[in-house]
Amino acid sequence: MIDFARVQKELQECTRDMEASGIRVSPKGDTLARLIGTIPGPIGTPYEGGTFQIDISLPDGYPFEPPKMQFATKVWHPNISSQSGAICLDILKDQWSPALTLKTALLSVQALLSAPEPDDPQDAVVAQQYLKDYQTFVGTARYWTETFAKASSLGVEEKVQKLLEMGFAEALVRSALEAVGGDENLALEKLCSG
Amino acid sequence: MEDPNTHDNVDSEKISESFLCCVCLELLYKPVVLSCGHISCFWCVHKSMDILHESHCPICRHPYNHFPTICQMLHLLLLKEYPIAYKRRENQILEEEKETGIFSPQFNSQAYNHGGDPASLSIMDFESKSPSDSLSTRKGEPYANLELLNSDSQVQDDGVCALIEIRNGNSEVIGNVSLKENTSKQVSVSDVLCLACKQLLLRPVVLNCGHVYCESCIIIPAGEMLKCQVCQTLHPRGFPKVCLELDHYLEQNFPKEYVLRRDAVQLKQVDFERSTESCKQGKNPPCLAEPHLNAHIAVGCDSCGIIPIIGDRYKCKDCVEKIGFDLCGDCYNTCSKLPGRFNQQHTPEHKFELVRPNFGSSRFRLVTVQLGDNSTSFLVGTYASEDSENGSPRPALPSDAQENADSSSAAIVASTDGGEDQTGSQSTS
Repeated sequence: MIDFARVQKELQECTRDMEASGIRVSPKGDTLARLIGTIPGPIGTPYEGGTFQIDISLPDGYPFEPPKMQFATKVWHPNISSQSGAICLDILKDQWSPALTLKTALLSVQALLSAPEPDDPQDAVVAQQYLKDYQTFVGTARYWTETFAKASSLGVEEKVQKLLEMGFAEALVRSALEAVGGDENLALEKLCSG
Repeated sequence: MEDPNTHDNVDSEKISESFLCCVCLELLYKPVVLSCGHISCFWCVHKSMDILHESHCPICRHPYNHFPTICQMLHLLLLKEYPIAYKRRENQILEEEKETGIFSPQFNSQAYNHGGDPASLSIMDFESKSPSDSLSTRKGEPYANLELLNSDSQVQDDGVCALIEIRNGNSEVIGNVSLKENTSKQVSVSDVLCLACKQLLLRPVVLNCGHVYCESCIIIPAGEMLKCQVCQTLHPRGFPKVCLELDHYLEQNFPKEYVLRRDAVQLKQVDFERSTESCKQGKNPPCLAEPHLNAHIAVGCDSCGIIPIIGDRYKCKDCVEKIGFDLCGDCYNTCSKLPGRFNQQHTPEHKFELVRPNFGSSRFRLVTVQLGDNSTSFLVGTYASEDSENGSPRPALPSDAQENADSSSAAIVASTDGGEDQTGSQSTS
């Protein structure tokens, strides 16, 4: 049984210092078991300027079991699968502690973006490139950030317009966009799921 | 003495960050202090514990094996400090416990009226011949602790003579406040006394049994394990670390007394350093080297709190509670008579049965152990008979006696002795 009271507290705490941390967590649907986390790409890395969405699903044992996290935004990183978005990070596996929270876990993921561990790779291709041809790696990572993590280059009004054209009501569209942090694809998913 | 912080807290029940559980993020309820000094709720610690291996503190990852007993002093302190929030937590947890059918230790309601003296209220404190016995006979008197506090300071060594005067000068004030606060159910110095020196706790450490001492009041004889002076229980892992959250609270809420105590203790610092030196060699139970081999997965000892039980496990046949009542081999053999950790109605008349570890899936590993070990028949026999042994008592295994030659656990079914503190009257069938 998930401790929803705790999840609720975590969300409040996260909202409270969103300004400082830049990290946002919001429920995906009407259950708190599935959430979406958003982290800004760390400055001084090829991920700078990108906004990365992370799918979070809470197991029944949360917070005594780690939350399941994977990147919804495609990202080029040795410890993150370029296909599935799976993250290789110890605190999301055996090093999880119930004193960690979604926010601290997302901060660790953000730190992982700054400090790749190519010797313990999730994506062997990326890790090889990182070790053998670092310049190309940086180029690819930056290109992926530009391409996939900057969906917000589209202005809010344009996104609203795009979704309105699909036949959703404006109030719904705006609240959906708000809820998912401005990503029009996630908003569409939310609108479709009701 | 009239600390404005205290009043703010009571009025608005704004809970200090120090007393929020790191796991549930709520006000600590039935607090348990780990040997690293970090505090968490009873259930939060229990649920965080590893059912198969060593457990780790959620905050600092400090390893531990024993589920500590609830710290009653802290429990009563929180109840006084945040009466509304604490009651709310109590109701909330009770609802959850009703759903699961497993209950945390219940403290009798009388306890709430005499907050100052943990030893007198505790259903978990069994040692009636303890130094705090004198206190418990006088629990109704608000001055009881104070008198001790004063008389104690007079028997201090010379270095503290100056302190006695100040302390006696202050006693009037303390007395008044203490009386007032006892009636208004606020926290007073008498709620936070060291069980050894009977003075305000300074750098408090909480032992595995939940009893609280000043760091400087703990002395371990060289080569021995740390033992609680009140309940005589052994503290399993070396020297416990100071509970900094509690220390911080004391410093804030009793600033004058705290400074006096600190100055007094600094004079004795030399002794203290010697005592910490000798206890650094605190050792773990030897059987923990390969816990997964002999572990009873998810079964903990109701006496010392070790989870999982390693090796022999004694399961009570008469306790009807869902969680059961179990003792590890050591506690069974030392006739430890603490009550259950989950409010089981266990009595000394209950019969035990011996349960061997369920080796289950680790069969392969067992084979390798057998090769390097003479007691092959023991392991093979146990493995084969594991299932039947759970249900029905069987005669002792032939190789069992030599396996446990040094203990009296050769019996599959053995009744415990009736007395609380007598040892050696165990019957072996």
